[in-house]
Amino acid sequence: MTARASGSAPGAALAGLVAAPVVVGLGYSAAAAIGLAGPAARGLSLVHIDRVMRDATVWRGLAWTIYAAALATALATAAAVAVAIGFRGTGIGDRLARIAALVPFPIPYVVAAAGAVLVLGQSGLLARLAAAAGVIHDPSGFPPLVLDRPGLGFILTFAWKEVPFLTFVAVSVLATRGQQLEETARTLGASPAATLRRVTVPLLWRGLAPAVVLVFIFIAGTYEGAALLGPTDPLPFAVATYERYQALDLTLRGDGFVLTLLGLILGLAAVAVFEWTRARAERLRS
Amino acid sequence: MLAAAACGHRAAARDATRDATRDATRGVTRGVTPGLASAAALARMPWDSVVARARGSTVRWLLWRGDPAINHYVDEWLAPRLAMRYGITLDPVDAQGPAILNALVVEREAGRTVGTADLLWINGETFHNLRREGLLAGPWARSLPAAALVDTASPIVARDFGEDPAGYESPWGRVELALIYDSTRTPEPPRTYEALADWVHAHPGRFTYDQGFTGLAFLTGLMIHLGGGASRFTGPFDSARYVAASARLWDWLARARPDLWRHGAAYPQGVAQLEHLFANREVDFAMSYNENEVVSKVRDGALPATSRAYVLRDGALANAHFVAIPFNAPNAAGAMVVANVLLSPEAQLEKARPDGWGDGSVLAVDRLPPEWARRFARLPADARQVPRDTLARYAEPEASPRYSELLQSDWRTHVRTGTTEDPSAGGDPESRTTRPALRSGP
Amino acid sequence: MTHAPVPGRTTAAPIPVATGASPGWRGVRLAMVTLLVISAVGPPALLAMLSASQSWFYPALLPTGWTADAWSAVVRRGPLARAVGTSVVLGLTTGVVGCVLAAPIGRALARLHGAARHVAVAAAVLPAAAPPIAVATGLQLTFVRAQLAGTPVGVVLAHLVPAVGVLSFFFFAVFTAYDTRLDDEARSLGASPRQVWLRVTLPTLRPQLGAGVGLGFLVSWGQVPLTLVIGGGRVHTLPLEVMGYVQAGETRFAAAAALLLILLPIVLLLVASARLVRGSAPASAPAPASAPAPASAPASAPTRVSA
Repeated sequence: MTARASGSAPGAALAGLVAAPVVVGLGYSAAAAIGLAGPAARGLSLVHIDRVMRDATVWRGLAWTIYAAALATALATAAAVAVAIGFRGTGIGDRLARIAALVPFPIPYVVAAAGAVLVLGQSGLLARLAAAAGVIHDPSGFPPLVLDRPGLGFILTFAWKEVPFLTFVAVSVLATRGQQLEETARTLGASPAATLRRVTVPLLWRGLAPAVVLVFIFIAGTYEGAALLGPTDPLPFAVATYERYQALDLTLRGDGFVLTLLGLILGLAAVAVFEWTRARAERLRS
Repeated sequence: MLAAAACGHRAAARDATRDATRDATRGVTRGVTPGLASAAALARMPWDSVVARARGSTVRWLLWRGDPAINHYVDEWLAPRLAMRYGITLDPVDAQGPAILNALVVEREAGRTVGTADLLWINGETFHNLRREGLLAGPWARSLPAAALVDTASPIVARDFGEDPAGYESPWGRVELALIYDSTRTPEPPRTYEALADWVHAHPGRFTYDQGFTGLAFLTGLMIHLGGGASRFTGPFDSARYVAASARLWDWLARARPDLWRHGAAYPQGVAQLEHLFANREVDFAMSYNENEVVSKVRDGALPATSRAYVLRDGALANAHFVAIPFNAPNAAGAMVVANVLLSPEAQLEKARPDGWGDGSVLAVDRLPPEWARRFARLPADARQVPRDTLARYAEPEASPRYSELLQSDWRTHVRTGTTEDPSAGGDPESRTTRPALRSGP
Repeated sequence: MTHAPVPGRTTAAPIPVATGASPGWRGVRLAMVTLLVISAVGPPALLAMLSASQSWFYPALLPTGWTADAWSAVVRRGPLARAVGTSVVLGLTTGVVGCVLAAPIGRALARLHGAARHVAVAAAVLPAAAPPIAVATGLQLTFVRAQLAGTPVGVVLAHLVPAVGVLSFFFFAVFTAYDTRLDDEARSLGASPRQVWLRVTLPTLRPQLGAGVGLGFLVSWGQVPLTLVIGGGRVHTLPLEVMGYVQAGETRFAAAAALLLILLPIVLLLVASARLVRGSAPASAPAPASAPAPASAPASAPTRVSA
């Protein structure tokens, strides 16, 4: 590796190499979506695209997915910001809070979702506690939190699942960039509340934004969680995609690839937004 | 892309120099390499030579590994005996119907004349699709010595969802769709579909079905009943019959909908989720495609001890499941030997034990040697199981898999979304999904 | 808002944004800490109970019967133990190979400017942000053609797709914050670029390399869709076993396998987060401390790909 001052060619080429598998996947999905490739390929045909575009359930499902992912992301962000700001010190309470916030990090989506059913379901732990306390008498007395249209269980579970990661980023941002600017503001006479409002939170938001984008796209793209916790109608996007792959009717495979293509394009859009927010955060440092 | 392709070519070149029979670089397909006899060719050879070819080889078997009772039978009983008596190493790999179909289609698309699987566990829709796409080797099944013992008189064993296996698959076991109830909650379960509808209205929110294969089987059975019974659904797919029967099905479901669990707006993802709802008292019925599964589930603690299985008097869908050999199997001889062992009275008896798997035998009792017939008769029965004669009395063969295919997509588009429009108004089902074979191979 | 530090002012203790003065605030903090501790301890406790319960139906608050058969299955050298071994080997391979590939890429990215920088970083992040099931099905045909489908090597290559993406971004952040003066001095003393890379750069970045290997390991450890599609049922990893048990309703085994799955990363996490735990120490040097800030974004990959 020679140290070239303006090494944009090799850098760009290497980045291209890293993205190459996704581009290949995109190309294959695109070809399969128009019938040129894939297990059920029958030659150039727009029937898959046509069928998916005209299917209202797909669009309603996509809308629900965006709604649920956005709400879960917002909740997780709020919680992470609260922990990062509220527990900045070195006391035992602060350290305990920060560790506790990070511990659920390695719990995989499928375990979180399965656990949520066992805790939040109408026959779950919370419901059993309510029954033991005499508040309800049978499972139907407990409000439906899983497989429900508002997606309450889904939102709560995934918000909880993403708090560790966002807390990690938030604490890092505050630790590395917060100090100087806040001190400067304080020495210029700003009150703690004003510092918080005008310096800390905007700073945190700038640094946190790329992570928030990623969290949103992760929640939106998960399958197992949506299948176990999400509503049956509107059907979450990832479940709608997977169903078409597994359908008994082979001709629906092409529809699955159309949805995959759509998912990949949305992923591209998310990456673009991510990079935009990251660039803004980077400009803040320089 | 370059890196992945380069890796692929390097790996392919390595394999090619190592094993001449595995050369498939750049998707170039070749004829069947010498030494790799097809199942059809082996079927014409004397059995001893097939066994000799299979000795010392490995048989990779794609089968569903989601049930520990089945895994126990395959890993702890079958595999050691195959190794000891035939020198065959069994390599079970987890794969279910649609995944098997996808894998073979992709392999053919990639030009792999020497594939990765030798034996497949399939039936119904999967067999139908694989056969239509020409992805199965054969015919071979009738050349097995143990094939003479098979109960070919039973329509359930002799046909796979109404289709003639024609020697492209060999029967392995049989199952029947059963409902599971809790004898303490439901001392008198409804015995007919009509009684079930009444029960649903009398107990709102206590019944539902799953979105997986078991729920689909329940709907198919209900549709067949509403369409006049199994005798009307023999033979190839009849779209007029489908339109008429499914209209009645949508009607039945629409009337039941407000009294289903969650008012019919949500359905559990698969049969495991339905069993969870049942065990935890959210609903009062579960279903199972294996009528004896209730025994092993109670033993595992997945279902309450007071659970019982039963079949409806209107008829219970029964079908057989089979093993088949893919078109590009590297070890067809080994696969055939395994299929033969699966049909042996010893293996079928062990499989039928209620404290193990409890899967039905496909052998004709009158064709068994008397000693084995006695042992089958002496099989213990568990109180939770459906008695064997009851099973036989109400068993109904499955209809053409096209009914289930269309039922699945129509249910998803119309019942699940809760629209009130009549799905059978969507046009002739035959024209909706006409599809010639999708061969894109050599 | 000014950027110029006030001369003569030494860095003081962290701004007391949240003073413990008001009892209301104290109460809120206590509630938050309790909630956080419950959310941290609850899931593993629940999994532990589930893994040993014979049956646990509504309305029972505790299991009605205990059994150790799930754990004895783990201890016996059966499929579950083998899955753990497979996951460990795949994870370590992904981590090490990922770092070897991604470190030079990250450095090249850090040297770019302007539009090329933005596009290149976006390209590097794409494999980790794209829906994994989409990437997996898109690549399936390629892997089958190359006879890599269903092989451990193929699965490692598949895991490297998101791993190299995440690690490239991670090393991009590392090298963006890296002080090149050390390298320049070594060059001025006559070392070749290769010697500089091997003898100066890499040793200086040893902690970051360790973190990178851990990160790549976690990407592979929790990966499900790629292993499913490319592994074709023949490569058995721990998350796949968990998913299989959950889908089959085998709660006990699912819980035991899930505990194993989260135990290792939790241990790694507790060890690695020592610095974070010590709080916003003002004396921490800016150079290594700024690396975690943009580099923490790639830690998202483990949460993402463990779908």
